[in-house]
Amino acid sequence: MDSDISEMSLGQEFMRTNVDSDTDQSGTNEGVKAMETSEWLEETNKMHIHRADMNKLIMNYLVMEGFKEAAEKFSIEANIKPPMDLDQLDERIRIRTAIQNGQFQEAMRMVTALHPEILDDNSQLYFHLQQQVLIELIREGRVEEAVVYAQDHLAERGQRDPSILNELERTLALLAFDQPDTSPFGDLLHPSHRQKQVASELNAAILRAQNQEETTPLLAELLKLLLWAQDELNKKKVQYPYMTDLIKGQIEERK
Amino acid sequence: MEVLPTCMDVEHSRVYIDQLYSNDSQKCFQAVSELKFAVIGSVREKGSIIEQGVVVRLLQILRAPELDILLKTEVATVLNSLAKGLPEHAAALVQAGLLPVLWEQLESCPSGGSGSAYTQMLLCCLRSIYRQGCAPPPPAWDQKLLSSLIQHGYHPPSNQECVANILAHACKTNEQQQQLVDAGGADLVACLLCSPVSRVQLPALHCLTAMCFNNERVSSIIATKSYGGKAVPDLLVGLMARDRPRDMQLAAATALTFLHRAGALSADDPRIIYKTLQCLVRMCRRDREVWERVEAANTLAYLTEVSTDLQRTAAMTDHLIHTMNDYLKDTTPPNASVPQGISVSPVSCRQYDNPSTWPELMVGAALKVYASLGANDEDIRQRVIKTDVLMNTIVTSLSAASPPVQLAAVRCLHSLSRSVHTLRTTLQDHVVWRPLMTVLKTSNNEELVTVSSSTLCNLLLEFSPSKEQILDQGAVEFLCGLTRRPHPGLRLNAVWALMNMAFQAEHRVKVSILHHLGTDQIFRLLSDTDVHILMKTLGLLRNLLSTKGHIDQIMQCHGKEIMQAIILILEGEHSAEVKEQALCILANIADGDIAKSAIMSNEDVLKKLMNYMVIPNVKLQIAATFCISNLIWNVEEGAAERQNKLREMGVYKLLQNLMTTTDTGLFDKVKTALQQFH
Repeated sequence: MDSDISEMSLGQEFMRTNVDSDTDQSGTNEGVKAMETSEWLEETNKMHIHRADMNKLIMNYLVMEGFKEAAEKFSIEANIKPPMDLDQLDERIRIRTAIQNGQFQEAMRMVTALHPEILDDNSQLYFHLQQQVLIELIREGRVEEAVVYAQDHLAERGQRDPSILNELERTLALLAFDQPDTSPFGDLLHPSHRQKQVASELNAAILRAQNQEETTPLLAELLKLLLWAQDELNKKKVQYPYMTDLIKGQIEERK
Repeated sequence: MEVLPTCMDVEHSRVYIDQLYSNDSQKCFQAVSELKFAVIGSVREKGSIIEQGVVVRLLQILRAPELDILLKTEVATVLNSLAKGLPEHAAALVQAGLLPVLWEQLESCPSGGSGSAYTQMLLCCLRSIYRQGCAPPPPAWDQKLLSSLIQHGYHPPSNQECVANILAHACKTNEQQQQLVDAGGADLVACLLCSPVSRVQLPALHCLTAMCFNNERVSSIIATKSYGGKAVPDLLVGLMARDRPRDMQLAAATALTFLHRAGALSADDPRIIYKTLQCLVRMCRRDREVWERVEAANTLAYLTEVSTDLQRTAAMTDHLIHTMNDYLKDTTPPNASVPQGISVSPVSCRQYDNPSTWPELMVGAALKVYASLGANDEDIRQRVIKTDVLMNTIVTSLSAASPPVQLAAVRCLHSLSRSVHTLRTTLQDHVVWRPLMTVLKTSNNEELVTVSSSTLCNLLLEFSPSKEQILDQGAVEFLCGLTRRPHPGLRLNAVWALMNMAFQAEHRVKVSILHHLGTDQIFRLLSDTDVHILMKTLGLLRNLLSTKGHIDQIMQCHGKEIMQAIILILEGEHSAEVKEQALCILANIADGDIAKSAIMSNEDVLKKLMNYMVIPNVKLQIAATFCISNLIWNVEEGAAERQNKLREMGVYKLLQNLMTTTDTGLFDKVKTALQQFH
């Protein structure tokens, strides 16, 4: 898949925004009409997806995201062999847990112990990890330590890479506010930021270091493909039954 | 809530560094671990550690046979991290003697078990050093070392990636390419190409390109290798498919290009003309990234440099000529950089470090493509030259750009100058010869001067209006100087240019040439080991000695030397082609009113002419007969005496004998000659 698609992130926020932009485009469409909704749904229902394939997709998701117990159970219940020895998930699970608990330094040490090349080879990732440490310090009001940390670890990185400098400045700007979470850069403090970005990034890097070809779950890729296809059809002003809610699978007629 | 380590505390860091030197292996291991956590990810720490001279101790640990392998593995991890820093850091490591230690350790380390982690780290370390491009190329590789390295390359994937990268970056000379193939490198690469892991396939591709480049023997061997039932070229086509990452597509296309240029795959092989070419053109599109477009264009230029079929196909593929035009106008957005994780080829990876140079790289690449496309086909040339801003870009690049772009501009100009129409029109409107002359006079780059002199040569052809102006610039003197250069390509171009200049030129030009060149230099050129230079020098003489008045004047001043030179050629061991030229010059001399006497008074030369009339080579016979014909030409003063003399020598009889010839050209000449005799 092209690189543009991987830019689209997957999460509740994104889908809602997508639905909103839908209403902006009402009333001006004079494009091609694909077919009647009922016909569309009929055609769609004719598509047959093998259960075995569905199971593989689910197993892939569980393994990628590190849900070991679920994977083990699913393997038994669905009678499907896991794609790898599930003990290999342990290290990724430990590291992901550390990140979820805000223990970024610990996570960095674990990664280094297991795959010493990752942090050298992925400076963006390393920056994001360090950024998280910085954010935590700021959130806890440990301002002096935050400044020292930024000086010692992040300054040199910002010097070398102009794109990182931007992010760094945004983060440090939080220090200027008494109540950083209400500041213009408050989004940096959202816990979802921690989850989405850093955990996934690190997870993907570890998978790469383990010589896995895919670093995001195939289910995610499928959904991205669906979103992209809808986007392309929208650009060409085609009228078709449009999936507005990916979670519920709700379909609406596009006007 | 985490407690931050205050590792920037100077005392703290000194403590663990001190512990590195401890004899207690536990403490030492702790210290090395701390060191590892400090340097990974931090360029500044790497620099600081190196400055503190710690590397010596680390190497010492590696070399000590009694020390624990886990400790050594940890040390190797640290060294690997240091090697991934700035190029200076890697260079410092090499200076400290890292490479021999690594190789030595690789040889001696036990396989399997804990030994394999150590091996892995050693290979990573070697790979990181080589990727920085600072390892000095050895004159020749140690055969044993090479074989064992290749053995490591079969398993597991992390070792495979390292070995492929090491070989890709280290293989630079012809000899190394040879050694690599002989040690089983081609088989290894074929195997790696089929790996399911793309991190292994990509360096394998780079390794392959490094092996094939400009090496006929190695390329032909590689082209016939196969793995899993598929031949290597077919494997390469698979890796060029659109669902592959871009750097992989590019590397595969480059490999196929090199195989073609080294003669292993022909231009009409469908994998070249219908796959490789298209892949490269596709990667030049506007929506692609800069590094991709530059690499693809450079490779495309190399691919289409020689074959007219490829040039024609490329010229009509996907608006290529138009796409290249975009390159000439491109501006790079600020904050641009090569995306992390992209692996550009070992040869060109460093050139994208500085985004401000990118526009120039684009211009250079486009000019090279145009130069290749327009090399042979006039239609393509005309389309190329109609490109917006091209001529202005060429003129600016000739004077202002860096040497690689200058060279690209001259190559482009050279291709365009092969068109007579262009010479008379566009190349006039854009006074190109001026910056060209400047390049010629000021550059030290031999390649640049050679191509520039070739171009100048074309600009000096008779039908080129800029000829006069070039002459005024002291071109004659300069070109005569070029004939003395050691590089044969330069000498040839210079003589060729002078030859063109002398063609139907005014007397003053001819005098100028003779004056600046000098008869001594002419003799030297006539004794040149390169036969092409010899031929062009004779051509020059022939052009000089044309037009009656000029012939007489020149022979008056330099007759003796010229006759000596011609005799030198006729008596020497030369091909018929060369001798024919000499005879044609004699024929020209024979046309001069006064100059005739130079031949007539020389019995030796007359006898030679008679010999050539009967020698079993029609072209030589014709030339000799033509000369005789000129000598006896009825209309001219003194014809009667000359005819008598020649008749006495037996020329008339010879001519009569030649009437029986079956060659019509010779027959005509003989008949004409006989008709002159009273």
